[in-house]
Amino acid sequence: MSKRESTASRLAGHLEAILTGFKYLFAEPRMTVRYPEEVIELPEGYRGMIIYHKERCISCSLCAMICPADAIKMHLERPPESGGESAGKAKPKRHPGINYTRCIFCGFCVDVCPAGALEFSDIHDAVYEEFEAMIYPPSEFEKGPPKQEFPKPPKRLRPKMDERRGIRYEPLD
Amino acid sequence: MMQIIEWLMDLLLSPWVFVPLVYPGLISAFAVLLFIIWLERKIAAKVQMRYGPLYVLKQLGGVIQLVADLLRYLFAEPIIPREADKIPFIFGPILLFASSYLSTVAIPVSYDFYAFRSDISLLVVLGITTLAPAFNLIIGWGSNNKFGLIGGLREGYLITADEIPMFVTALAMAILYGTMDLVKMVEIQVDWAWGILLNPLAAVTFFVLMLFSTSRFPFEIVEADSEIVMGPFTEYSGILYGLTMGASYVKLYVLSLLFAILFLGGWEPVPQFLSGTILGPGLVLFAKALVVMFLQVFMRSVYPRYRIDHALRLAWHILFPLSLVSVFVSFAALTGWWL
Repeated sequence: MSKRESTASRLAGHLEAILTGFKYLFAEPRMTVRYPEEVIELPEGYRGMIIYHKERCISCSLCAMICPADAIKMHLERPPESGGESAGKAKPKRHPGINYTRCIFCGFCVDVCPAGALEFSDIHDAVYEEFEAMIYPPSEFEKGPPKQEFPKPPKRLRPKMDERRGIRYEPLD
Repeated sequence: MMQIIEWLMDLLLSPWVFVPLVYPGLISAFAVLLFIIWLERKIAAKVQMRYGPLYVLKQLGGVIQLVADLLRYLFAEPIIPREADKIPFIFGPILLFASSYLSTVAIPVSYDFYAFRSDISLLVVLGITTLAPAFNLIIGWGSNNKFGLIGGLREGYLITADEIPMFVTALAMAILYGTMDLVKMVEIQVDWAWGILLNPLAAVTFFVLMLFSTSRFPFEIVEADSEIVMGPFTEYSGILYGLTMGASYVKLYVLSLLFAILFLGGWEPVPQFLSGTILGPGLVLFAKALVVMFLQVFMRSVYPRYRIDHALRLAWHILFPLSLVSVFVSFAALTGWWL
């Protein structure tokens, strides 16, 4: 043992610890956000699930190439048969589909898209009953992420840095 | 029919049935168990800026969370490992719980309400509570699990280290009061002063030893869930696990009642509006025990867990000498030098 504290200072340490505990027992507020009733307001540029605008897509495949987790894959899709002259002549087009079991929400695909066909939403919490439902082919991808449903309209909170407590949540309205 | 009900009520309200069965015995022990575990989780949560159990009866802050847990334990299947020693495995938790709460029979509730009065009721209470850890050892050995064995051995080290100073401290108070009869101790405290003022050293030592023997933080070394899963109780499930978990809290309840009688003046003073009824002394004693229990479970939110060698060194190098010194403090208080 290198250095022994005196008995008095150790006793004082114990007392100080217990008093600090008591101080925190009566201190407000708490840091817990009770999720379905309270929701943290997301900051600008939050990387949630991805919205796909099919009409802007130029089928360049850049998103599939840059995806580090191999979540985006290009699907070959024939345009709908319209009959008449061009029937059967239209070239098949490639469209991205996304696999949310692999996606790491890095946002490279949104950044690299030259046509602005991919966009972030602020939805990050979705429940799937089946594993396969998390894999979106282009036809599903363009419908957008699932809608969020709350039992009651949640209270919106904004995180605030606080010198004393570390972090605090303030109600937005 | 009425006669039978009357006879049953008389039987229930007679002290030798009421004390072991209702208060301070089995039923109130269960009620305290459910309340104090909730309180412990709630306090730890508040200190750590969380909410703790909340969603079972939200209006009262989730106070019946433990009732829900108990129901779950009741209906869960108690799995008995094939390699375990069946008889100790099954009867260990039952005897552990029983020996933890049994000593309530010797705890008086007022001057004339007790199951039995004895010259050595202090020794009866301490003696029966000391039995409980032995079953921890048996459980740990019988469940044929390495964590159980380590936990049981830890319990073995700890009981030898904490029960001896605990007896010495309690006997220091017996020397001070000149009796081991808990009823007489309260009478003497009314004449003199509360035991905590007469011998503060013994009070502090006894308090720390209570933390020790009921495995509260910082001495929660036997269960130590981050190191050895759940210690002796690793293999348990269902209601048998519920019993093992509840046993240390019931022991805490019994020792808190004892602490209230030894150091906090027992059921005195009874407030004016409650005097004359049988309810008064019981409530006062219960309130004092609750305060002690609150302080005990509060330590969870302050302290980390001691390593076993640290705890043993604390017990043998500091608490044991302190308990011996508290005997001398008692003598000094008797001669009047202290006051």
